[in-house]
Amino acid sequence: MNVNFLNPFIEAASEVIQSELQTAVQRGSLKFQKSAFVTNDLAVLLNLIGQVQGIVLYEMSTEMGLAIVSRVSGQAFDELDELAQSGVAEFGNVITGRATVKLAQAGFDTRISVPTLIQGKGAKISTFDFTRLIVPLQTEFGEVIIHLALRARAESEQEIERGAF
Amino acid sequence: MARILVVDDAQFMRMRISRLLMAEGHQILEADDGSNAIAVYKSSRPDIVLMDVTMPKMDGLSALRHIREYDPQAKVVMLTALGLESVVLEAVKAGAKDFIVKPFELPRVLSTINKLML
Repeated sequence: MNVNFLNPFIEAASEVIQSELQTAVQRGSLKFQKSAFVTNDLAVLLNLIGQVQGIVLYEMSTEMGLAIVSRVSGQAFDELDELAQSGVAEFGNVITGRATVKLAQAGFDTRISVPTLIQGKGAKISTFDFTRLIVPLQTEFGEVIIHLALRARAESEQEIERGAF
Repeated sequence: MARILVVDDAQFMRMRISRLLMAEGHQILEADDGSNAIAVYKSSRPDIVLMDVTMPKMDGLSALRHIREYDPQAKVVMLTALGLESVVLEAVKAGAKDFIVKPFELPRVLSTINKLML
């Protein structure tokens, strides 16, 4: 995976967390992983299409998810009901939207899907030949772990889509 | 006070925006995707529409075009996580009055509403 795709996501996530949760963010150590992603409590998944393609996942504990929706809405959530689930998914959506603006500024025009929230431990999500880049972001409320399985789309694929052939 | 249609597929975001705007004295209508937004617009003729872009079924840009075709005076503001320049240009070309990127700040949203209500 092109590590140049990493910074837009780290910056976007840090900006959104600081703005929405009003707290500082500390970045943990990066690592690469080729094996399947195994879900923990919560993961928000979005697909990217365009000049960068693949998936991004935001992994967090239920406690962190509840902290996010409680802080953002200003009302205490103590269970992950439908409204809270929607809030956690939207959190991933807003970070990814912001990251795509930064990717576009770097020359990669990319669109995103609507977010999907995966709940429950033990589900496996394989990214096949995409190696995932993993970066944990720590806050006073808990951790959000970003998983990126992205690659630049081959120029030839883009030309086919534009009808050049 | 304005009658504002909040269009977003995320229930949480609709609740959040609606609550903030109701606290400012505005009356709120809601729709969870583009096609519902068109139906609510036609039946209720709100003063302003706050429209998300990325939504299942019908996206916000398509809904914007339909609403502006039905009512060329419609005041639609895009409120979205997808702040790409290409999307902003597409929205402006289709007649959006403003473009606000999430995470939004309430004063920015209120200032846009106030300007559109003049």
